[in-house]
Amino acid sequence: MLRIILLLLLFLPAKSFIQIKDAWMRPAARGMNSAVYFEIINDGSSADTLYAVKSDLAKLTEMHETYQRGNMTGMRKVNNVVVKPKSSFKFQPGSHHIMLITMQKEMKQGDKATILLRFKRSGDIKVNVEVKM
Amino acid sequence: MRYVFFILFICVMIISGCKNKLPIEDDISSAHFMLVNQDSAVVEFPDYLRGKIAVMGFIFTNCPDICPLTTNNMQRIKAELEKENIKDVLFTSLSFDPARDKPFVLKDYARIRNIDLKNWQFLTGQMSVVDSIKKKMHFFAVAADTSYSEDGKKYYFFVHTDRISLIDRQGRVRKNYKGSTINIGEIVNDIKQIM
Ligand SMILES: [Cu+2]
Repeated sequence: MLRIILLLLLFLPAKSFIQIKDAWMRPAARGMNSAVYFEIINDGSSADTLYAVKSDLAKLTEMHETYQRGNMTGMRKVNNVVVKPKSSFKFQPGSHHIMLITMQKEMKQGDKATILLRFKRSGDIKVNVEVKM
Repeated sequence: MRYVFFILFICVMIISGCKNKLPIEDDISSAHFMLVNQDSAVVEFPDYLRGKIAVMGFIFTNCPDICPLTTNNMQRIKAELEKENIKDVLFTSLSFDPARDKPFVLKDYARIRNIDLKNWQFLTGQMSVVDSIKKKMHFFAVAADTSYSEDGKKYYFFVHTDRISLIDRQGRVRKNYKGSTINIGEIVNDIKQIM
């Protein structure tokens, strides 16, 4: 019995099945806004939820999605993103993005930064982001 | 012989059909709007485009996602035209958020994107003037989707038409495209048609 429990524990620990791929952001002058994009890959057998993003790059950091209404386009805040098991979710131009409002410093092409993604199951994941056009 | 005439007739129909593929969407040639560019120089729009073909994008610089796509696409169009040695095309980005997009803001926006301003102007101006241009060109933008920082500061964004316009040498809009997803080959072909 003990052995079974131990064996179970081996599989249960909070090993993160979340991987973040190809993180990049747009260039922005100080005081302007930028957006961060990446792909979340969930190799685990349960869903995970991205519920917050932390960054000292900007005064305000939010999760947004761009939406279309006919020929019109806008964006709105989203509170969280659920990544289903064995699947991936893309933050990409024209769609979901991490919105950096009021950049604290200028970020030019090639510059690097880190942001923190907070997942319900996998905890905090530090992500390296590079500025691209 | 009759066949040859028939085929010739079809060819003429196809060619003239292609010529008419770009109807006049909006004639703005008789309008005169006083704007300023990224260097605060006064620019008369669309007068300064007269005699040139123009690719015009609509942006607000606080927009982090869609407007950079539109601007990137204009850079790609410009690169493609240069590759094909097509000159005589001017690029214009008009801000529909003149309250925040002062000339120096537009200049920074161009600088950070390595945009060569030789044949590209970023325009802004008085709110009433920009509103008149929007009306004339059937462009819509409404402030919406607000965010608040911890200290209660309000940030607003626009719901807006997603657009790049192609303007001919006579100051007539010949085609409107979705700015963020425009097909580069399509507009380059259209530009060749109205050369
Ligand atoms: Cu956004």
